[in-house]
Amino acid sequence: MKGAFSILIVYCCGLVIGCAEKMEEDEVLQIGITTCQQQPAFIGITGLNAKRSAFSTSEKRTKGLALVQIPENLADTANRKVWQHPSWSKFGNMSSITTDENGNAYTIPYPLINVLDNPIEKQNIIYKVSGEDGVMKALVDLRMDTHPASQGVFGLLGIFYDCHGKKLYAGSVAGSTRDKESGIIYVVDPINGKITDQLTGKDPLGLCVGGITGEKRLYFGSSRTSDIYSVVLTKTGNFTGPVKKEFSLDLLGPRGDDKARRIRFDKNGNMIIFGIEFNYNLTAPTEKQETIYRFGYDVEEKKWVLVE
Amino acid sequence: MFRIRFFIAASLSVSIISCTNNNTSTSLPNDSVYARESILSTDTTSVNIPLLQQRMENIKHALSQTVPILLLEKADSTQSKAQQIAINNAQFKADLFDTQTHQPYLNEIFNVYNARPQEIPQGYETKNIYRVEMYNYPLNLTTVALVDIIAQKTIAVNNYPHTQPDLNPSLTSLAMQIAINSPDVTGALGFKPGEKDALMAATKTSLNRTKCERSMHLCVAPTFIKNDKALWAIVDLTDLRVVGVRWTNVGTNGEAERISERKLLFDKIMECNCKQVKSVEKNGWTMNYIITSSDGLRISEVYFQNKLIINNAKLVDWHVSYSGTDGFGYSDAVGCPEFSQAAVVAVSEPKISELVQDGKTTGFVLEQAFQSEQWPMPCNYNYVQRYEFYSNGKFRICVASFGRGCGNNGTYRPVTRISFAGNQNNFSEWNSTGWQSWNTEQWHLQNAQTNYTAEGYQYRITDAGGNGFFIEPGRGQFKDGGRGDNAYVYVTKLHADKDEGETDLVTIGPCCNTDYKQGPEKFIEPNAENIQNTQIVVWYVAQMKNDDTKGREYCWAERYLENGVYKTHTYPCFSGPMFIPIKNN
Repeated sequence: MKGAFSILIVYCCGLVIGCAEKMEEDEVLQIGITTCQQQPAFIGITGLNAKRSAFSTSEKRTKGLALVQIPENLADTANRKVWQHPSWSKFGNMSSITTDENGNAYTIPYPLINVLDNPIEKQNIIYKVSGEDGVMKALVDLRMDTHPASQGVFGLLGIFYDCHGKKLYAGSVAGSTRDKESGIIYVVDPINGKITDQLTGKDPLGLCVGGITGEKRLYFGSSRTSDIYSVVLTKTGNFTGPVKKEFSLDLLGPRGDDKARRIRFDKNGNMIIFGIEFNYNLTAPTEKQETIYRFGYDVEEKKWVLVE
Repeated sequence: MFRIRFFIAASLSVSIISCTNNNTSTSLPNDSVYARESILSTDTTSVNIPLLQQRMENIKHALSQTVPILLLEKADSTQSKAQQIAINNAQFKADLFDTQTHQPYLNEIFNVYNARPQEIPQGYETKNIYRVEMYNYPLNLTTVALVDIIAQKTIAVNNYPHTQPDLNPSLTSLAMQIAINSPDVTGALGFKPGEKDALMAATKTSLNRTKCERSMHLCVAPTFIKNDKALWAIVDLTDLRVVGVRWTNVGTNGEAERISERKLLFDKIMECNCKQVKSVEKNGWTMNYIITSSDGLRISEVYFQNKLIINNAKLVDWHVSYSGTDGFGYSDAVGCPEFSQAAVVAVSEPKISELVQDGKTTGFVLEQAFQSEQWPMPCNYNYVQRYEFYSNGKFRICVASFGRGCGNNGTYRPVTRISFAGNQNNFSEWNSTGWQSWNTEQWHLQNAQTNYTAEGYQYRITDAGGNGFFIEPGRGQFKDGGRGDNAYVYVTKLHADKDEGETDLVTIGPCCNTDYKQGPEKFIEPNAENIQNTQIVVWYVAQMKNDDTKGREYCWAERYLENGVYKTHTYPCFSGPMFIPIKNN
């Protein structure tokens, strides 16, 4: 009996080791399309309608993170409700938000017009909002030892949670100067904040993991140019292989030099890009100047083509 | 022979136009070198050529018509018929006039052609359907009509905001003519190109696609290729002028780098004015200057007649508060356009010009503009720093807002910091009978009860020998439209061992404090230090309330239509004190 148990253990280990990096085709194709996000448990205490509520970091006159109940009729602004946990405004203004299958949310700081609420040395911290009680705390401080204050005020600019590999991807430009691109994309364990891998040498903005091309790839927009890049990921979410330029937003849209602030996939596998102006300064037009671009993957040509 | 002549001419032009070019390599220059050598056109007027004069006449004629549209030039009979059908359609003509002033916008038919199959709705005969493309210059809007020339009706009209149709041959030629007649293009090439030059095998010309991302105007880039280099001339067809020119290397893989309005502008300012300290020597004055990350244009090591006067001076913040809503406003830093903490960025190079009063040159001006991209649209800003240096030793440090901001109830509070030279300085205020010394760090508000000397001086700063400057605050006497500064003046001790603003300062105060808490008080409270016989810093925070009342506009800007495109009226509010040398003999 003991021998049989041992054999069983060995067999299971072999299965795990053998399958660790192998992904089925259907599994890969669904990455980025199938979502896993769950509502946080604490939403019950907010009094908001969970089905119509979403996190926001761009509420006027609300610093930090907020939970917003969108009215059924968008024009009905009186029924737009905003809820904020006391800890959500403690760390200054925030930008990207991503959520996981346990209702936890992750967000990163962003100096809005000035650095009064966002000291430069605190711009490389990932904050986690517990899905249980809504408390926001620092998950990990990605140190900024080399950050030259006179050359910019930015640290993290993008964050994305990959349901498939259960990893956070956070892109930082801390330490990059006008003459030297030295941004880092970190792969972070969302449970303990440990860095499991990192990719250096590119300044990233929006990030997303997708598998519609048949490979699990991290797609990211450059914060210096209008280019979209990708890099192959292992099943567990670490980097493997070189960075590849996929396509560019150059000359597209009203401005012609948009950078990809946010990247997502729709249910058909099209890549949706939210393009903005970004020039490593604190200019902030009151009306959000954002253009949405939709790219589809041409399987025959093996390239992304603009759909609209 | 031609090659040699070109080389000499080009070298000469580079030595004139580049800010600094230390590139001694024999290989092709890199991007930074080309950025430094680029030229930002400062002339906002069109070049004077017959084609442009004809164009302006055509525009004026079109705008005077009931249907103010510039029709397609050299249209054949079918194209004429198609555009006529389109302009009879009400939807196609929906954006011909400003809805408020009823003045005409400049609209032009760019193209009329047999529509492609994929553009035609089902059920229509392909050969009968024509596509009419019209561009609205001030709104940056394309309107496209599909017309059936047999049924003589418009079958579809679509609007495409922020979209520009392809140029037709007439507009291409116009862009080319503006480029080849531009002094900036001539300066960069080293010779005046003509049509023949443009068509020579060695200097091929093509019209590159580009964008004017900031102005949102219709821009193209005639590009003159010479050996391994290409000269991009960005032509603004809305304002009919050259925006600027810049060389690039021609890519070996066929993908040459694109130059746009923003890249041209930002790269030049960054390379020449944010990374390099410049110097000026004029009218007895010498000084260095640089655009900072967040403190505007900083002057330093300022000497008059070989005597150090100012360590440095700069504009730390602009605080803008709106009285209609508590706590609503912005705390804006001004500075370099990239890799900076600036919310309103430099949009030109520092400008040095003569200071002329009553027809006589009395000194010089060093000036720098900072502008939000969509100014003068609401919630966009335009600020100017202006340093005036007089041949008699006087100087004035002033700043202005050109609006327009988020409302007509705004108050602007620019925070200027001046670090005076000398380590035995004293600061005094006129109290109606004499000069009252400030013994410790403090602040004072200029108001209706303020006492001034007969000359209008409120303060003075002196060294151990009694030399120094009287300080004359703005009370509307400087003939620049300023209506008085109502300024807070702070004096703090300059420390050698502690940085209180000698280097670039992050935003030091919030937008909306209406009292003395504008930032400098942080270096005074809670323990004000002694400032007698020491190094001191003077902070000057003027307060200007904006006004949009017709005829009384202040800190304000308005758009208006001229020849169908938008121009801007500005109503600046200048503030800032004059510093007058104390004559001690």
